[in-house]
Amino acid sequence: MEDHLQNLYEVLSKVEGYVYPNEIELNWSILIVLYPYITGLVAGAFILASLERIFKIKVLKPTYGIALLTAFSFMLVATMPLVSHLGKPLRAYEIMITPHSSSAMAIFGFVYLWYLMVVLFLEIWFDYRRDMVIWGNESTGVKRFLYKLLSLWTTDISPKAVALDDRIGYIVTVIGIPSAFLLHGYVGFIFGSIKANPWWSTVLMPVIFLFSAMVSGIALVMLIYIVLTKVRKQLIDMECLDTIAKYLLYILLIDFALEGLDQIHRIYVAEESFEALHKLVFGKLFYTLFIYQMLIGTVIPLLTLGTLQFYKPKAQIRKLIYTILPLLVLAGIFFMRWNVVIGGQLFSKSFYGYTTFKTGLIGTEGYLMAAAWLIIPFLILSFLLWLLPPWKKIETSHE
Amino acid sequence: MPQHIKRLIGVFAIFIVLFLVMRQVLKPSSFGKLGHFRADAIYENTLKPMHYTVADSCTKCHQTVRAEKDKGFHKNLKCEVCHGPGLKHSLYAGQFKGKELPDSLKLYKPGERKDCSVCHQKNAARIKIQFDTINTTMVHQIDVAEHNPPDLKANEPANCIDCHNPHQP
Ligand code: HEC
Ligand code: HEC
Ligand code: HEC
Ligand code: HEC
Repeated sequence: MEDHLQNLYEVLSKVEGYVYPNEIELNWSILIVLYPYITGLVAGAFILASLERIFKIKVLKPTYGIALLTAFSFMLVATMPLVSHLGKPLRAYEIMITPHSSSAMAIFGFVYLWYLMVVLFLEIWFDYRRDMVIWGNESTGVKRFLYKLLSLWTTDISPKAVALDDRIGYIVTVIGIPSAFLLHGYVGFIFGSIKANPWWSTVLMPVIFLFSAMVSGIALVMLIYIVLTKVRKQLIDMECLDTIAKYLLYILLIDFALEGLDQIHRIYVAEESFEALHKLVFGKLFYTLFIYQMLIGTVIPLLTLGTLQFYKPKAQIRKLIYTILPLLVLAGIFFMRWNVVIGGQLFSKSFYGYTTFKTGLIGTEGYLMAAAWLIIPFLILSFLLWLLPPWKKIETSHE
Repeated sequence: MPQHIKRLIGVFAIFIVLFLVMRQVLKPSSFGKLGHFRADAIYENTLKPMHYTVADSCTKCHQTVRAEKDKGFHKNLKCEVCHGPGLKHSLYAGQFKGKELPDSLKLYKPGERKDCSVCHQKNAARIKIQFDTINTTMVHQIDVAEHNPPDLKANEPANCIDCHNPHQP
């Protein structure tokens, strides 16, 4: 009893004004911020890969394999923040075995599985099958076994079979683009359809999520490409980087316009929630929204990338810019997710009060846990890059 | 059909079959009996240990307190709201009449300033009632820091219950 009261006092010290009892504690913590962030990286990286494959933008070739493997590594981890956020993580599978058709989250399980198995896995498999067969024959030990296993002990690498692989891979990519839109649009949908929350409830949410996903995915692949070439001591393909930067600029513009539209609409309509949100945005969200998301994550990259379209400094300087910009953009998109997920829970649905978000370093919902889920995809990616190095592949032209 | 496509389809088929089998195995047997949930969950919840007793059970042994309370402002508060869960106490305290209760049967006696503040501290969220001449909050609100604060120098009363009888405030 004593402890309980003590706890109540501590909790009440976090709130201002009128807050319903179930709004004091933020139930969706930093892990739920990571979930749309990581899924977004997946969708974005995949769309960059498909630009090369479907829209035949050949200069992007050096990033095709990297983008695919990045998407795959992050996809494997995408649901983990959700699962570890659960009070009973071991029951997570139940969402798959007894899904309810009216539950957006239950259907997400299948959208996720579809995307992981049918799109990403198949595309990578068909893309790498011939190489895995060849590498399997060349290597020994565990690596040999892995290649054999992954290629399902197939041996057929005749031009006909390879052409078929390529054809199917193409079809999978074609299916993959709407699937990537579905995957991340869906994440936006889950938030956008919560009608009780005026900060989330907008039909634009899926679209905004989608474009911010592309922005973050493209930025991530750009960064990984730069780091990888540096590590491998290769010459960087500036033309490729310039092109990625150009696409980043376009998508960032659309993203910015959409988010601007959303806010302008909100300001113009000025529903009864407006005052509460206004206070939220200029109070508790000021730094994360205006400084981190808008200034650092959007305006500075936009201006820099825009300038680069007219004025091209030396390759060395451009490379430096291309290394720093993705970091800013990635941070910006992270705070965009933060502002959505955390921001949406900071104000009371009575519109008369606010609460505070606090989380510790340790614990299942702490920062360390979140950091782990961000680092693990990179470890998986390193492993995949070691096992399936895109640069060692035999040139195929993806016709 | 080329060999590798066949194998791939095979792998997917195994995966799907495995999923269906796992689904059958893992699906709780009582799932769906009453609705889209595990019917046994209801039964399992009835097995949990109880902590609270029914509202009137205290009266059996504490008639005086009850009678006192019924005359005061706290008449609508149940005993356990202040004293905490009392099932064990009402079952076993009878044997200790007039004696010291063992610790496991003792109940909380919320006499400190912070205890009463749980309900009486000023809070914007407390419901206001407004009709006819009545214009009041449901529970009287005081600013605990302002309302007769303890004076540490003089030996003045500090706790709420030094001035208010908790059962008849
Ligand atoms: C079976 C009889 C019985 C029932 C029912 C019962 N009590 Fe008691 N209670 C006692 C006895 C005996 C004592 C010991 C002291 C005494 O004789 O007054 C006691 C003492 C207490 C004390 C004082 C403890 C202390 O540390 O001084 C409180 C408070 C109390 N009871 C509250 C309750 C509440 C609340 C309920 C209802 C949930 C309840 N009792 C139900 C028999 C009972
Ligand atoms: C407003 C909260 C509150 C409610 C409601 C309440 N009590 Fe108490 N009770 C107290 C406090 C505080 C004390 C401690 C008084 C003291 O230490 O002098 C107390 C003391 C007691 C005692 C110890 C004997 C005594 O008189 O000091 C008994 C027995 C008791 N309460 C029974 C009950 C029963 C039975 C009910 C329900 C009919 C009840 N209480 C309802 C606050 C409450
Ligand atoms: C569970 C909530 C609760 C707790 C705890 C509680 N009270 Fe009350 N109190 C009420 C309610 C309900 C009323 C009746 C409505 C009203 O008149 O404010 C009330 C009324 C009162 C009143 C009369 C107010 C008036 O109208 O003049 C006083 C005095 C009072 N309580 C003192 C106390 C003291 C002292 C304590 C600590 C021992 C305490 N209360 C603990 C809920 C509580
Ligand atoms: C020094 C004695 C004293 C102490 C200590 C004391 N009160 Fe009072 N309280 C009074 C008196 C006298 C009144 C009636 C006059 C008034 O309204 O100020 C009163 C009135 C109240 C009222 C009714 C207020 C209203 O608006 O009608 C509440 C509720 C109350 N007290 C709760 C508490 C609580 C809770 C505590 C402990 C934090 C406490 N009191 C401590 C003497 C005291």
